[in-house]
Amino acid sequence: MAGLAMDKGENSGVMVSLCSLLTGGRVFGIDTRLICEVLGEHAVQRVPQAPPFIAGVIPNRGEVLTTVNFRAVLGMEAQSGTSSVLVLEDEESRERFGLMVDAVSSVVIVSAAMLEQNPSTLEPRCKTLFDGAYKMATGLIVSLDPQKLRPVRLAEMGLFSSKGRGESV
Amino acid sequence: MPDKACVDDLTKEFLAESMEGLDRMERCLTELELRPADSELLGEIFRAVHTIKGTTGFLGFGRLEKLAHAGENLLGALRDGTLEVTGELISGLLLLMDGLRKILLLIESTGGEGSRANDDDGSLIALLDDLSRQRRLHEEPRSELVVREASVAGAQAAPVDSGYVTERGANDKTLRIDVEVLNRMMNLVGELVLTRNQMLQSTMSAASFPELARRLDSVTADLRETVMQARMQPVGNLFNKFPRMVRDLARTCGKQVRLEFSGQETGLDKSLLEAIKDPLTHAVRNSVDHGIESPGDRLKSDKQPEGCVRLKAFHQSGSVVIEVSDDGAGISMERVLAKAVDRELVTAEQAAAMTEREALQLIFLPGFSTAAAVTHVSGRGVGMDVVRSNVEKVGGSVEMESRVGAGTTLRLRVPLTLAIVPALVVRSGGQSFALPQSALMELVYVPEREVADAIEQVGQAEVYRLRERLLPIVRLDELLEVPSTDRVGAHGIYVAVVEAEGRRYGLVVDDLLAPEEIVVKPLSGVLREIGLFSGATVLGNGLLALILDVAAVAERAGVRVAEPGISDGVEKSNAEEVEATRSFLVYEDCGRERKAMPLEQVERIESVPLDEVEYAAGRAMLQYRGETLVLRDAGGVLHDMEAGGTPAAEDAALVTVLICGVGALEGAVARVGVVVRKVLDVSSGVVLDEVSAREGTTLALVKERLTTVCGEMSEVAEQKLQEVA
Repeated sequence: MAGLAMDKGENSGVMVSLCSLLTGGRVFGIDTRLICEVLGEHAVQRVPQAPPFIAGVIPNRGEVLTTVNFRAVLGMEAQSGTSSVLVLEDEESRERFGLMVDAVSSVVIVSAAMLEQNPSTLEPRCKTLFDGAYKMATGLIVSLDPQKLRPVRLAEMGLFSSKGRGESV
Repeated sequence: MPDKACVDDLTKEFLAESMEGLDRMERCLTELELRPADSELLGEIFRAVHTIKGTTGFLGFGRLEKLAHAGENLLGALRDGTLEVTGELISGLLLLMDGLRKILLLIESTGGEGSRANDDDGSLIALLDDLSRQRRLHEEPRSELVVREASVAGAQAAPVDSGYVTERGANDKTLRIDVEVLNRMMNLVGELVLTRNQMLQSTMSAASFPELARRLDSVTADLRETVMQARMQPVGNLFNKFPRMVRDLARTCGKQVRLEFSGQETGLDKSLLEAIKDPLTHAVRNSVDHGIESPGDRLKSDKQPEGCVRLKAFHQSGSVVIEVSDDGAGISMERVLAKAVDRELVTAEQAAAMTEREALQLIFLPGFSTAAAVTHVSGRGVGMDVVRSNVEKVGGSVEMESRVGAGTTLRLRVPLTLAIVPALVVRSGGQSFALPQSALMELVYVPEREVADAIEQVGQAEVYRLRERLLPIVRLDELLEVPSTDRVGAHGIYVAVVEAEGRRYGLVVDDLLAPEEIVVKPLSGVLREIGLFSGATVLGNGLLALILDVAAVAERAGVRVAEPGISDGVEKSNAEEVEATRSFLVYEDCGRERKAMPLEQVERIESVPLDEVEYAAGRAMLQYRGETLVLRDAGGVLHDMEAGGTPAAEDAALVTVLICGVGALEGAVARVGVVVRKVLDVSSGVVLDEVSAREGTTLALVKERLTTVCGEMSEVAEQKLQEVA
């Protein structure tokens, strides 16, 4: 398999291995090198008064990691079914955090050349989150960059500000 | 960060070494002023400067070398005995030290020693040269020296203010550890890996599993202790900063102050040491500036012209106490009360009704300062409230005692370590939260049928009557907006009475779970911003619990600083009684005789099954947490129980043992177990000195009843240690 992928890679430039995720029926992909760990179904401890895009906290390797609720970030309703948690690491700040998605499906090898920019008509909120899309035969995989999903960044952008917190402060 | 790259390892090592040398020099200099003839001190100072000079030449720091050279000349003359130690000489040397330190810090932050115009040491070098030339000027008129002294004093004012703040250099980031300790740590980590390997290979059902779990437990406990030990720093490291500060302060205020230390070797976690540095500095400044009177005033009140500030550190019941006491004027109650009324902190009626102890609490209120004159040293609005909140932030507490004319004592009490905190786990809205024990005053359970009556309302605010005082009630689930799970269901409610930064309130929670020693984990920035949680922890059951910040919860709920002096007692005790009052644990061991144990000696109360008590060499012993405790059974409780226990009842027979710590021997606290029949109460009482002297035993009046005090068991501990040896 790897050999096949390499062959293809020579034609179309750099190959990227993506971990594909499902959230709200859509497919997303994150570079596997930026994923520390896939925890699968994992209990997330809620944090009262936290902004809505925070699912809660999880214990991981001696640290308490803040976990982002990806559905909430996309502005979707909370779902009733199960969800999976990944641990991501931001390359720059070495900050680790969790990401809660509906499901983690598989690892796919794609060519970097298949990535295309965000469409200009994309709504602003998603523009700040998405990193373009890979044109796969089976459909599009929206590329995500952990750097853009950091809790601190989401909080700074203020697009996802909470409802309940402001008045009590 | 990028500037770190320009400081290579060799320079880094040089910086750390030189800083240590200068710290030693600082200590020696102030001592030298007291004992000018001590050649050993002089040698030490000379070496510090000499080492710097030698190494700088090699590393190519010309500016530093020039300054160190000038200093070395002066010190050389001093060592040869051609110069005499004088006040201005010491001041000059202190300036030299500040100069050297400044350059070292500059090198650390920029990699270079600076060559801008304002980085010129010419005047300082000239001053040092002047000082070393004084041997020839000896016969010259005195006036010239006076002029010079004035210039020294002028130049000195700046470092007094800035020097202490910028002093955070290499020393904060590095830590010296005994290789022995490091080896022990490595051994334990090896042991941990071995245990893990065995655990991975065995299964839960394997027979060896409990054994492995036990081993894991003991290895982690040992490892934890060793790491703690490595982080422990003697308090003396902190105290060393003070002689210089006190000297400079005393000079600026025109006072004569002697500084005394004790207990410098008391260990404290490095991060805690950092945390109490500022409060302690503030306290010492206060003592010198406000506490100690001017020499003239002291003579008028029959005291030595020289005042004394004492710094004392010691262990007490699992925490470290640091006392700052002075023999100054003390705090005048009238002035405190007048000021408090003036600042509208209390009403005149309230002030009139206050006891001395309550009035002293006023000093900790924000916006309070008794300084009659605002000096440039203290009294600038940064008051005792900041000291208290800083100490409480790390889980400590502050107490103050003062006697007019005799002096003031400030007591800072801090836990041994920050990383592991005793906490109570509570549940609210189906979630677990940890409540630090340091903030917890007491727990009240209100049965369901009484809830409606017990929680009363003033307007919208809920209150609870705690010993005839109204305690504001904060419902945790409502504050956090977590959906409550039928709160007043099968059981009543729990009110945790908590206090932080002088705010006392009752926190209503759904349930109380076990007390646990929790390991504090920091939260990410986004969650810290919520401002209600100080961290998170993993509980014994593997679940996460958020640690409540008691002060922040009070703030959010709008709990104001309680009116001062909410003391527990309904009846107010008068001032003399407060002085002699101590807390006792009251118990019975035989008959109806009530006995009491000073509370600070009691570490724990344990219920132990009778068959765990073992007998050896005619003594009852108990294996307790890896220690062998000698049991003291004055009332013959064990004998009665062994005799009276029928086989059927035997497994239910529990002995109540007070685990008491007696003094510290070679760093380890010696413990004994005291067998009692029944623990009655914790209460404060007054020791009756007259009776004690006559009878040979100590009697105390606890709750108006005569009680025998069993304290001072050091002879028991000594015996025990001899046996062990």
